[in-house]
Amino acid sequence: MSFRQARYDEPLLWEIGAPAASPSVPTASIPGVPGNLRRRRPLDWPEISELEVIRHFTRLSQMNFGITTSTYPLGSCTMKYNPAVSEQIARRRGAAEVHPYQPEETVQGSLEIIWRLEKGLEKVTGLPAVSLQPAAGAQGEYAALLMVRAYFRDHPELGTRTEVLLPDSAHGTNPASAAMAGYVTKEIASKNGCVDLDALRAAVSERTAAFMLTNPNTGGIFESEIEAIAKAVHGAGGLLYYDGANLNAILGVTSPGRMGFDVAHLNLHKTFATPHGGGGPGAGVLAASAKLEPYLPIPRVVKTGRRFRFEYDRPKSIGKIKTAYGNFGLYLRAYAFLLYHGEEGLKHVSRRAVLNANYAAHELADTLPRPFRPLVKHEFVLSGTPLKARGFRTLDLAKRLLDEGIHAPTVYFPSLVDEALMIELPETESRNDLDRFVAAVKRCVADSPEQLRSAPHSTSVARVDEVRAARELRLSWKDLRTPPSSEPELAAAGAPRPRSSPPGPAPP
Amino acid sequence: MRRHRFNRRVTRHALGGGDTPRWIPDDVDVERELLTKAGFHSFDDLFADIPRNLRMGRMRVGTGLTEQEVVRTIDQILDRNKPYSKFASFLGGRMPIRYLPAAVDAILSRSEFYSSYTPYQPEASQGMLQALFEYQSLVVELTGLDAADASLYDGSSAAGEALLLCRRIHSGDRFLIPASLPWEEKSVLENYAAGHPVRFEEIPYDRTTGSLDLAWVRRAVADGDVFGALVDLPNGFGHLDEGLPEIKGILGSVPLVAVADPLALSVLEPPGAWGADVVVGEGQGFGQPPSFGGPLVGFFACRREHVRFAPGRIVGATLDAEGRRAFTLTLQTREQHIRRSRATSNICTNQSLLALAFVVYATTVGPSGLAALQAALAEKARALAAGLGGIEGLRAPRFSASFLSEFTVEVERGSAREFLDRLRSRKVLGGHPLADPRPGRSGPDGELVLTATTEFVGPKEILKFESAARQAIGSARRDA
Repeated sequence: MSFRQARYDEPLLWEIGAPAASPSVPTASIPGVPGNLRRRRPLDWPEISELEVIRHFTRLSQMNFGITTSTYPLGSCTMKYNPAVSEQIARRRGAAEVHPYQPEETVQGSLEIIWRLEKGLEKVTGLPAVSLQPAAGAQGEYAALLMVRAYFRDHPELGTRTEVLLPDSAHGTNPASAAMAGYVTKEIASKNGCVDLDALRAAVSERTAAFMLTNPNTGGIFESEIEAIAKAVHGAGGLLYYDGANLNAILGVTSPGRMGFDVAHLNLHKTFATPHGGGGPGAGVLAASAKLEPYLPIPRVVKTGRRFRFEYDRPKSIGKIKTAYGNFGLYLRAYAFLLYHGEEGLKHVSRRAVLNANYAAHELADTLPRPFRPLVKHEFVLSGTPLKARGFRTLDLAKRLLDEGIHAPTVYFPSLVDEALMIELPETESRNDLDRFVAAVKRCVADSPEQLRSAPHSTSVARVDEVRAARELRLSWKDLRTPPSSEPELAAAGAPRPRSSPPGPAPP
Repeated sequence: MRRHRFNRRVTRHALGGGDTPRWIPDDVDVERELLTKAGFHSFDDLFADIPRNLRMGRMRVGTGLTEQEVVRTIDQILDRNKPYSKFASFLGGRMPIRYLPAAVDAILSRSEFYSSYTPYQPEASQGMLQALFEYQSLVVELTGLDAADASLYDGSSAAGEALLLCRRIHSGDRFLIPASLPWEEKSVLENYAAGHPVRFEEIPYDRTTGSLDLAWVRRAVADGDVFGALVDLPNGFGHLDEGLPEIKGILGSVPLVAVADPLALSVLEPPGAWGADVVVGEGQGFGQPPSFGGPLVGFFACRREHVRFAPGRIVGATLDAEGRRAFTLTLQTREQHIRRSRATSNICTNQSLLALAFVVYATTVGPSGLAALQAALAEKARALAAGLGGIEGLRAPRFSASFLSEFTVEVERGSAREFLDRLRSRKVLGGHPLADPRPGRSGPDGELVLTATTEFVGPKEILKFESAARQAIGSARRDA
C-alpha cells in the first residue's frame, strides 16, 4: 500500500495571529477583581477567527494516526475500533447536560447507567463488587493498593505488610503505583516468560501485602499456574491483584474472580472500546472480592426499590480518588459495547482477538524469533535481535512500519525480551488487515538497512530527535521565543519568526 | 439485497433493517481458515492453556442487541434524567456549566484525534503533539509559571500530584490546606498522600471575609516541618482571597501550591507572579460539558527548576532529521514505563483529548471573549447576590471577600439540603451544599450553599431564583 501522511508546515497558534493590541474588556472594568489580584498584562494569546481555528486543528488531525486511519498494533493497549454509535450516545443531551451536583432525583438515568454497568462488570470479572470511579488504569491500580493498605490496617493480626511483589514483566504503572502507595516493590524474575513459581514462593513472606499480576501477561502468555500462584500469595497472607489491561483475551472464558484474585482494575478504554483520545480520557474501573468491597471509593451507587442513590455511609471506604464519580461519558460507551455484544458477542471478542494474535504470530514465524511458548492469547512478542547483524534495530523497524501506513507495535517492552516488539491486533482487525500487517512487517525486515535507519520517510516529519528535546527542554511557546539554552544551532533552527510577520510555513 | 455476513447476527434481528454493523469483521468461514492456517483444529484449542477448572460458566450479561436496540435502551435510561437545562440552574463549583462553541466538538469529533493512542511514535502523531504543546503554552500563560504537563485526570488529583511534588523538593511532614477546601478535594489529597508520612493541617478562615488567617500560617511555618501549603482561587466558598499574594512571603522557601480556575486566571494576575511554585486546577469548564462529572481534566504547571520532579506526560519541541520543527514526548526518564518504582508519578493515560478541548475552547473564544465572559458572569453574580441578600433568613453572600462568578449563601433556617429541595420543586437548581455528605464528618460551619452564575442565566432566571428562595424560606419558617 502506498502511503503518505499529510505534511503541513502548520504554524503554532501564536504564529497565526497576535493578541489584540488593546484589550476590549480591560480587567479594571470587571467587577469583583481586587486591585492586587488584577491581571496587569493581558492574556498573551492570539485572537484568531473560527475558521482559522478549525483549519489549524483539522490540519493537525490529518497529521495524526488513529484507529480510524491505521492498524494500530500497540501491545497491551488494545487499540480496537471505537464504535461510531457510542460517540453519538455520549453526546446526548440527557448525558452531557447533567451536572454532578444535581439532586439524586434528577439524575436517576445517570445513576442507572452506572449501576447497570457495574452489575455487568461484576459478572465479567467474577468479582462481587465494582466501582467505576478511577479515571484511568494507573489510578485504578493506585486506588486498589490504597484498599489493600486499608484492609491490612483493619486487620492488625495479619502483621505489618510493607512489600508489593510483581513479575519483571509487569507494566511500569504497577511498580509506580505501589511505590506511590508507600510500598517497597520487589520484582520476581520470570522463567520462560511466566512467573517463576519457585522464586515467588521464596519471595512471599509475612511482609507481602500483594502480588500484582497481569494474566495473560505482557508477553501474551496465559499464566497457567495461576492457581499455584494464588495459593502461594494467599498462603503468606497476601492479596492478589489483577491488572486488567489484558482482559480482552479471556472474556467469558475465565475471570479474575475465578482465578482467585482479590481486587482488580479494568481499562474500559481497552477491552470496552472507549476511545483512547490521544492519551486519555480512560476509565480504570475497580472490582473487588467480598473481603475488599468495604474499602471501595465513595460514593457507591445502590438501588433501593426502583430508585438509585449515592451511598456515602461506608466507614471503611478509602474515600475519594477523584472529583465526582469518574469519567461518566466513557461509561455510556462501555455500556453500549456490553449491550451490543452480550454473552456470545463478548466471547466472540476474545476468541477473535486470540485468533488474530495466533494467526499473525504464525505467519511471522519465519521472519523474527518469538520467545516463549507458541500458544499466545491476545498479543505476542517478537525479538528484533537478529536485525542487529544486518545493521539496524527494532526501533528502525518500528519507524519503517509507519511508512506502510501502519502504526508501530509497542517496542522495547517487556524488557525480558531483547529488542522486543509487542504486537496486539484486536478483534476488530479483519483478515485483510492482518495479511497487510504481516506483509508489511516482512517487507520492512527485508528492506535495506539505509532505508530502515533513516525511516520514516512518509510521515509528516522525518525521524524526530528525542535526545535534543530532552536536552533542550523547550516546553512552551515562551521557550521557543526565548530559548532557555544558549545553544545557537537550535535557537536559529527552531525559533519562530517575529510575531508581526505574516503567517506562513513554519521555520525549517 | 443485503448480505448477512454474520450468522450470529441474522437470528437476532427482531427489528430488521439497516442496523447490522460489523464490529467484528469476517464470517465464521474466514475465521476457520485463519484458525487452520495457524495450525489449530478448533476454536477451543486457542484456550488450551487455560485450565478447565478455571473456566467460567455463563456470565449472564444478556444476549446481544442490534445497534438500534442499543441506542433505544440507553436513550430510555437517559430519559430518566432531568438535564439542568430544564431548570434555572446555578450549579457550579469547580465544574462550571458553560456554553460550548460548536467548533470545539467539531474538532473533538475528528477520529484521528479521539481514536489515537498516547503519541509514542512522534513521527506519526505530530498533530496531537503540537496541540498538546499549544495547550501547555496556554497553561503556562494562564498560570505565570515556566512549564506545564500535558494534563492530569482532574483538578483534585492534580492537587494531589502537586503535594507529592512538594515532598520531593522540600523536607518536612506537615502540609497546610484551607479549612474551606471542598471536602472532595480534601479526600483526594489525603489519598494521594496516603503512602507517605504527611500530616494535614487546616488553615482557619476569617468568619467575616472567608479569607485565610495569615497569622496562623505564619505561626505554623515558624513551628517548622511544613513541606508545602495549598491555597485556592476562587476558594471553596467561591470568593477571592486578597491575602494570597502575601502568603509566599510568609512561607519563604516552603513551596506554595495554588489551585485556580482557568477562566478567573484569564483576568487575574497569574499565581506564578505572586509566588506560587505550582499551579493546578480543574479545566473542564474549558471545552467539556459537565457530563455528570466526567471526563474532567487537571492542569499542572510548575517552575523550570522543578520540572524533572513533575508528574505526567510532557511535550517538548525539537527538530526532525531534516531540521524541521517537530514535537515529541520528553523527559520520559521521569515516567513509569522507564523509571518504574522510582517514577515521579504512575501516570500513563492522562486526559489528552480534554487538553485539546481546552486549547480549542480558549482559542475559539479568544482572550477578549474570555474576559467578556468573566465580566458578564461577575455582573450577574452581583445581581443575584443583591437579590438574595435582601431575603430575610438568607445571608448572601455569606462572606465579605470579593467574588467573580460564584459565592456562598448561608441558609439561616432549616438545612441547606431542604432549602435546595424546595427550590428544585420550583424548577430552580440553586447550587450545591458545601457540607461533607459522609456521616460523622462536618464541612465548614453553617448551612452553606455554593451558587454560581452561567451564560444561561439572565434577569428572568435571577428573579425566578429570588422568588423561589423567598417561598422556600417562607415555608421553612412555617414548618418551624
